[in-house]
Amino acid sequence: MNPIDPRIHRALDGELAREDLPRELRLVVERLEAAAALLAAAPAVAGLEPRVMAALRRPAPSRMRRLVRWFSIPHAVTLRVRPVWSLALAAAVALLTLVPIDEGNGPVLGDHEGIAQFVGRFPDAQTVHVVGSFNDWRTGTIPLEDRDHDGVWRATVVLPTGTYEYMFVVDGERWVTDHLADRLVEDDFGRENSILIVRAARR
Amino acid sequence: MKLGLLLTLVTSPLAAQSVRSRLEARVPTGAVSTVDSLVQVAAREGLPTEPLVQKALEGGAKHVSAARIGAAAQEMLDQLRDARALLVRAGDAPPATAAEVTTIYAALKRGLPAPVVERIVAAMPQEPRGSALHSVADLAAHRFDPDSSASLIIDAAHQGLRGERLLDVSTAVVHELQRGHSRAEALAVVRRELPNVPAPPKPARASVAGARRPEAASPPPP
Repeated sequence: MNPIDPRIHRALDGELAREDLPRELRLVVERLEAAAALLAAAPAVAGLEPRVMAALRRPAPSRMRRLVRWFSIPHAVTLRVRPVWSLALAAAVALLTLVPIDEGNGPVLGDHEGIAQFVGRFPDAQTVHVVGSFNDWRTGTIPLEDRDHDGVWRATVVLPTGTYEYMFVVDGERWVTDHLADRLVEDDFGRENSILIVRAARR
Repeated sequence: MKLGLLLTLVTSPLAAQSVRSRLEARVPTGAVSTVDSLVQVAAREGLPTEPLVQKALEGGAKHVSAARIGAAAQEMLDQLRDARALLVRAGDAPPATAAEVTTIYAALKRGLPAPVVERIVAAMPQEPRGSALHSVADLAAHRFDPDSSASLIIDAAHQGLRGERLLDVSTAVVHELQRGHSRAEALAVVRRELPNVPAPPKPARASVAGARRPEAASPPPP
């Protein structure tokens, strides 16, 4: 530890004239006096009482502001649950996440089965069926439905994967090509069949 | 060879017998005999018979005359022979399977030129070519050059795309065309991205849930 020169003490106490000090000690005394002046000029630390009174006088924050503040500030949340209930909750979560939910009464698809959707617009039709190589060209086995009576008839069918040809039969007698189909081919009887490629639903 | 001959002798009458029972009451009487004899000829020649049966059933359902059904079946038999000859020309190892002959027949029926079909057969030995041929036919139906389309599909197969995934290549090309590209550009864009072509979306759960399994659903003919 470097002891302070006793002449500095005496100069600060006014016992020794500054002019009697050597130059380097005079500089030190001036610095110490400047520091003391700065400390004297610093504002006084407010006491507890004025701070409390200032807070009381401040207008209360709005409900939204309090809500935002509540959400933004960390809180310790203590949940008191019996262990048996926490185990039951864990089991329920595991059941929901691990066991597939039954989507309804839909068929279970095999590895070599896919979904074929048939759609046709027949505003004045009474019945519409789809007939093709998937059902040995049997009429009347796969009906389309127009549940909301907007003239658009639909059927969703499970079929073995593969390539098929088909047509719509309207009102049991009118054979109509599905022109919405991507693929068409001549049927050798003067009309066009649509080609359907059924891909495996499980990929 | 002897085993093959034996199997042919045993299975042909069985096939013919089952065909008659399938045709009767559904096809005009006059056509049953014609189609039956054509089925027997096809069986003897080792050609697929199911497409002939399906054509007759289709004609019967559409109330086509017996003569027309017979003519359509005869024409189909000739086309099946052409399809098998094409497989031989393309270097496919004999005997050609019924499925392969039917696939080639379908591609020719869709209007693909025989040389293009031959090219695809030769480029994809020992693997199913049905999807590749449909993919090229899809592009040809959108007025793409069949040769350029075949080149793209063969490239896609060489880059690892197999089976039904080849159908996604033509779908991707058609999408590029719909986005405003010229045909040449659309082919080039998809070629650059190979083998990355978007897969089709899986059927929606609601669709699967609402789907019905038809009573008389039968797998496609070989």
